[in-house]
Amino acid sequence: MDEYMVLEFDGDSRNESFARVTVAAFVTRLDPTLEEIADIKTAVSEAVTNCVIHGYESKGGRIRIETRLLDRTVTITVKDFGIGIENISLAMEPLYTTKPEMDRSGMGFAFMEAFMDELSVDSQPGEGTTVVMKKRIGVIEDKSSEIE
Amino acid sequence: MKEKMCYELNGETMVIHLPRELDHHVVQMIRNQTDCFFDSKRIRNVVFDYGNTSFMDSSGIGLVMGKYKEVRYLNGNIYIACVNQRVARVLEISGLYRVAILVKNVEEAFEEIEEVNEKVSV
Repeated sequence: MDEYMVLEFDGDSRNESFARVTVAAFVTRLDPTLEEIADIKTAVSEAVTNCVIHGYESKGGRIRIETRLLDRTVTITVKDFGIGIENISLAMEPLYTTKPEMDRSGMGFAFMEAFMDELSVDSQPGEGTTVVMKKRIGVIEDKSSEIE
Repeated sequence: MKEKMCYELNGETMVIHLPRELDHHVVQMIRNQTDCFFDSKRIRNVVFDYGNTSFMDSSGIGLVMGKYKEVRYLNGNIYIACVNQRVARVLEISGLYRVAILVKNVEEAFEEIEEVNEKVSV
């Protein structure tokens, strides 16, 4: 089973909840636990917030989310066409933030890593940033059936 | 959908009753609404009430850290009340428990604040 969904919307902070709720609704067909859904919502919220605040510096712009369901893995790609990231490894360091005056915690990427199984970040200064996150749904159940 | 926030000022303590969903959009509103209190009043303690909160991302952590920076100059404390399992997990990952005091509810926060105040006055 391979299913696909694309969502494109304006980088307005009101769309942060719209994006995470929509992706979560799509993933529901894999029959995830409430915890898994909450993990995905948090990770999507982090990625979209980064686009709004950093990619577009709160001035707005297009954000595109692609969600793919294959077997029991959900792959979520969050893309903006904003300013990009100069130093990705520095940006991903926990507590590092370029916006402390906005009370940003610098935990965005750390949260994506904590709540998803895989995370990769690709960025070109001046062109934009793409974040790809993967999570296996119902992993514990799968393991028990393998043992049988 | 409008998120409703509610604030209480009791002496030098501010209670922030957080909304159901706590993300960057909502945190911006809370900051805008609370900044004037912090500018005009002496607020030494902040109690965050998570009783209604079912969703929080790192923006919620930033909010608490921001208020911690403000109260620590006055030797005040940050209290975190009524956390459910989900919020607890997010707080644990963030390491916020190192700077904030976890309490069962808002009443317990006020009891602790009273104890701290008594110790100071003795």
